[in-house]
Amino acid sequence: MSAVLTLDQFAVALRRGRGKNVPILDDINLTVAAGEMTALVGESGSGKTIASLGVIRLLPRGASTAGRVMLGAQDLTDLSDAEMRKVRGRDIGMVFQNPLSALNPSTRVGAQITEVYRLHTGESDRAARARALELFGEVGIPNPADRLDDYPHQFSGGMRQRVMIAMALACSPKLLIADEPTTGLDLLVARQIMALLTKLRRERQMGVLFITHDLSVVEEHADQVHVLYAGRSVEWGPARSFFEQPRHPYSQALLGAVPRLGQARLVSIPGNLPDPETRPPGCRFAPRCSYREDACETAYPAADTLGGTVFACRRGREIVPEVLGAVPQAAVRARQSGPVVLQADALGVDYPRSAASFLRGLLGGRDRLTALSNISFSLQRGQCLGVVGESGSGKSTLGRAVLQMIPYHGRVILDGHDFTTMGAREKRAARLGVQVVFQDPRESLNPRMRIGDIVAEPLKLAGMSGSRARRDAAAALLNRVGLNDRMMSQFPLAVSGGQAQRIAIARALATKPAMIVLDEPTSSLDVSTQAMLLNLLKDLAETDGLSYILISHDIAAVSYMADTIAVLRGGQLMEMGDAASVLGAPQSEYTRELVAASPHFRSTNKMGAASGAVAVADKSGF
Amino acid sequence: MSLSLAENMAAPGGALRRGAAARLLGWVGDRTMLVSGLVLAVLILLFCFLGALIYPASPVAIHGHHAFQPPSGAFPLGTDQIGRDELARLIEGGFSTMVVAIPAALLTFAIGIIYGMTAALTPSWVDKILMRLLDALLALPGLVVLIFFASLFAPGNTELIFLLGLTSWPGLARLVRNEAISQRGRDFVLATRQFGGGTWYVARVHLLRVMAPILVVNFTFLIGDSVLALSGLSFLGLGVKPPMTSWGGLLQTGLNLIALDPWWMIFPSAIMIFASIVATNLIGQGILARLGEGR
Amino acid sequence: MIRMITKRLLTSIFTLIILVSVVFAMTHATPGGPAFSILGQKATPAAVKALNARLGLNVPWWDQYFIWWGHLLQGRLGFSYLLNRPVTELISEYLGNTLMLYIGAIVLAVVLAIGIGLVQGVTWGRWPARLIGAFQLAAYALPTFFVGTMFILYFGVEWQVLPTGGITNLRDVHPGIIDYGRHLVLPILTVGLLSVSGLSRYFGASVHEELNKDYVRTALAKGLTFRAVLFGHVLRNALRPLVTILGLSFPGIFVGSVLVESVFNYPGLGYLLWRSALSQDYPVVSGIVLLLGVITVVGNLLADLVNGLLDPREIYD
Repeated sequence: MSAVLTLDQFAVALRRGRGKNVPILDDINLTVAAGEMTALVGESGSGKTIASLGVIRLLPRGASTAGRVMLGAQDLTDLSDAEMRKVRGRDIGMVFQNPLSALNPSTRVGAQITEVYRLHTGESDRAARARALELFGEVGIPNPADRLDDYPHQFSGGMRQRVMIAMALACSPKLLIADEPTTGLDLLVARQIMALLTKLRRERQMGVLFITHDLSVVEEHADQVHVLYAGRSVEWGPARSFFEQPRHPYSQALLGAVPRLGQARLVSIPGNLPDPETRPPGCRFAPRCSYREDACETAYPAADTLGGTVFACRRGREIVPEVLGAVPQAAVRARQSGPVVLQADALGVDYPRSAASFLRGLLGGRDRLTALSNISFSLQRGQCLGVVGESGSGKSTLGRAVLQMIPYHGRVILDGHDFTTMGAREKRAARLGVQVVFQDPRESLNPRMRIGDIVAEPLKLAGMSGSRARRDAAAALLNRVGLNDRMMSQFPLAVSGGQAQRIAIARALATKPAMIVLDEPTSSLDVSTQAMLLNLLKDLAETDGLSYILISHDIAAVSYMADTIAVLRGGQLMEMGDAASVLGAPQSEYTRELVAASPHFRSTNKMGAASGAVAVADKSGF
Repeated sequence: MSLSLAENMAAPGGALRRGAAARLLGWVGDRTMLVSGLVLAVLILLFCFLGALIYPASPVAIHGHHAFQPPSGAFPLGTDQIGRDELARLIEGGFSTMVVAIPAALLTFAIGIIYGMTAALTPSWVDKILMRLLDALLALPGLVVLIFFASLFAPGNTELIFLLGLTSWPGLARLVRNEAISQRGRDFVLATRQFGGGTWYVARVHLLRVMAPILVVNFTFLIGDSVLALSGLSFLGLGVKPPMTSWGGLLQTGLNLIALDPWWMIFPSAIMIFASIVATNLIGQGILARLGEGR
Repeated sequence: MIRMITKRLLTSIFTLIILVSVVFAMTHATPGGPAFSILGQKATPAAVKALNARLGLNVPWWDQYFIWWGHLLQGRLGFSYLLNRPVTELISEYLGNTLMLYIGAIVLAVVLAIGIGLVQGVTWGRWPARLIGAFQLAAYALPTFFVGTMFILYFGVEWQVLPTGGITNLRDVHPGIIDYGRHLVLPILTVGLLSVSGLSRYFGASVHEELNKDYVRTALAKGLTFRAVLFGHVLRNALRPLVTILGLSFPGIFVGSVLVESVFNYPGLGYLLWRSALSQDYPVVSGIVLLLGVITVVGNLLADLVNGLLDPREIYD
């Protein structure tokens, strides 16, 4: 296979403020072969997006690069700006994350595709339109002729990403760079996009540089894997060898942080990613590494190789295959059934919506849209109910109804008290017993309040007097979620996402609730942070007998946490039951699809059976 | 500002390693607009409120023999057409301008926030009615309404404050309402409600706090706008009553005599008005720029 | 689309009803009623009573309110107290000049604002944008009447290149259309300058904002030149907020023109308003204020419709 893209000692430095440039990316060596997919993996802040922008030379003003970027036999760093423009779109196609913002909202999608084709081929408008139609068919957009003249907002998320892909393919590029193309898409849709990319690259012998933070997405699609940490490559090589035995402690931790069913404990990485300005002089992972030795902190380790992958770690050879498989499998999770904390009977939610007919709309008529219908469940003390579904399935609506944030019909009974029969004052007091942790921790903390005040706010509202006493209580709460109480005088923007989410948990604990609704609590966090948070929540459930409703699109997280799982689709309950049986032997077709689409979970099944190395080659899910 | 302080503290090394002097310079360097606006504003306020102590000449005394003279040793900014000391009048005019413009801005500010918050936090049908009323008021040019009322009764300073305050709030009210509506659905507000925080508590503790920077910025703009509106009124002959004067009044007198080219009667007041608007806008834009960096 | 227009029309009509009521309340809020103000020193009870009867002010205010509405719907705005002529006649006499000034200033302001804003948005954070920002602030901070007078002083008196006053009525242009146009230049420049400052700053900021959006990166990644991205993609999206702000700034532009018309002794509505306000000629004042309100409400409606054309989401949602 010939190399389509080769990065040779590639480095990028960006200008920050007025000082000199700060190195973001150092000494990257990477190849993408024709017809193959190379996955560039790293958490946020690793420099992976800067790498892709560096390749097409669209870095922010003032950036400087070093090293070579070879597209086939051509060195892109030698080209003039005008020559480089000819390469973009023609030889390299780009697909970005979040196609809604990456497409021009006020231009028809057809025009956005023909634009690039006409630019590079000089063809007529008509030929370009024919080409766009052909592309639409190729990427699997139904009724392509009708949809060319639609605007981006008229497409669903998955279809929008197909439009992006069609646009990137317009001039049949040799290389496709896909920057987190599936992030934010529903599981089944993401899977279809991945399959499409694989099909296209094979048919067209096109190289794909796939940038992602999520190893599991690329597990069955990538040919090569390249892991970045804090702007340096830590491990790279054939995907098969990598997933069989990652050698770098960071790669290991990334894989180990992915939750699995029945697992007692997740591997978590302590500490935070260093800022580009304050990266350690030696191995950048050293401060967070459990294999660290003194030499690691002084010099960057030389690349070493064993069994397929290349890794930059002194002790990579010592790290044995068993480490991964040795994660204790908690086969016994017999929990005595406690008293019922929360019960929901025939819960339903309707939303008013502007009337469908124009005349009724004029008269102020409203149609009702059923967001949730007829859901019943009960939750025991110390247990976790996982609610799984795609966007629009009504899972968040379910959470908000339980929280009494929106009107609903049916009954919600907390500790034997029915919310529907309560007076306003009584209800206000009872609501304290059901707390919430939201998806985006930055959104859920007032950015202009000090952390101490945020955590103490529920106490203040509950009538606890004495600012001193409240402060002490807030400090104790912060300590319980593993945070230092010295951060009480800081503002939320000064802490990391994972810390902010723990602050939100500390606040939720303040009123000693019987249960907490966790609404996608980890989906905005990096894998390593997510593991730490899930571990914390599990500990709290055990020590305090807290119950959870965990709402998530991430089956892996739910499988790790939940005792019972409910699957929702379009506001209807598809299936509910014991976690192991729902995931192990799904009753409904939809659940089967969902489980099959979850790469984390599939590989777990495998692991349970093989109880050793992680097997990769399972393509049975196709 | 406390926000950026916290960020500096949080950044390891960074700001703390550098010396105090360098830090101070850095502070000024990063905040040129804000600092120069503040310095200018302080100078203008000192001139208006303490100028009379340093230069105690009477702004109304008529020096008949020295009428219409360019600046000299005795009269640093010359005299007007009937022989009044222009510098003394500039100080007095500044004082009159500020004692009207600042309270008027405060009044506008208060009405705008109360109205906007009420619209944002009441049921949607109340909001709809309040917003239509606001649309109607916004369609009326504030200064025109001001002229109308000012012509009804020759207003004194108190009346001017109320007139300015009562005619210039609708724009701010809409801004406050839109901002409050966009903030009230945020997760931290929902979380607070789950802890039993009521509407009033949320508005007071959360919304106002989050909106504080944008409100401060708008307050500075309001002061500038009040100064401008007041000078426009004075130009139309409806401002501060003679023999007292305002900067707008002084400028109008000078411009009326333009055929005689009395530059000393035109430029000092024009510059003072100009400088006040520039100062308030520099402060406001300076704060906005700092916020942009913080995000 | 039709639905959106209908909804906006209904809202606008509702706004207009409130507007008329507010203006009515304004003119009737005068202490002792208009008769007192008109008669001044001569306000004996008998004279007041007679005048009230003549002006139709002797019936309860709610009757007056409905009578007023009746007249409005017939297009009657009453008689000027002072000139004893129908208000509609007075307004139509002065309207032409004001419209010329208004439209000229708006066109000037929009054209300049787009040009200046593009440069500012593209060079945001660097010296050209900062320089433009300084000029915008300066233009905003100078009182309109001062700028107008300085224009008169230099263009009219010192260099004698342009006439400074004495414009005729649009209807009977005696010295010819060119001369009329020459008279318009300075007032338009003065009003326009004030509007350019705000509009260009606003447009500059929205160009800057649009340039930082993801679709710009996509367009560049397709191989388009920066110029093509700017004019082919960014401009249209950045125009939307400009149109909205333009619709909202109609009253502000009129305020500017009141001052400018009085500086230039320009026979337009602003000038008429000022003179009438000073002499408490309420029917004229309320007529002009009302007309202006209507223009603004209609302007906002138009701005929304134009935005609907610029942004497909507005139509389909």
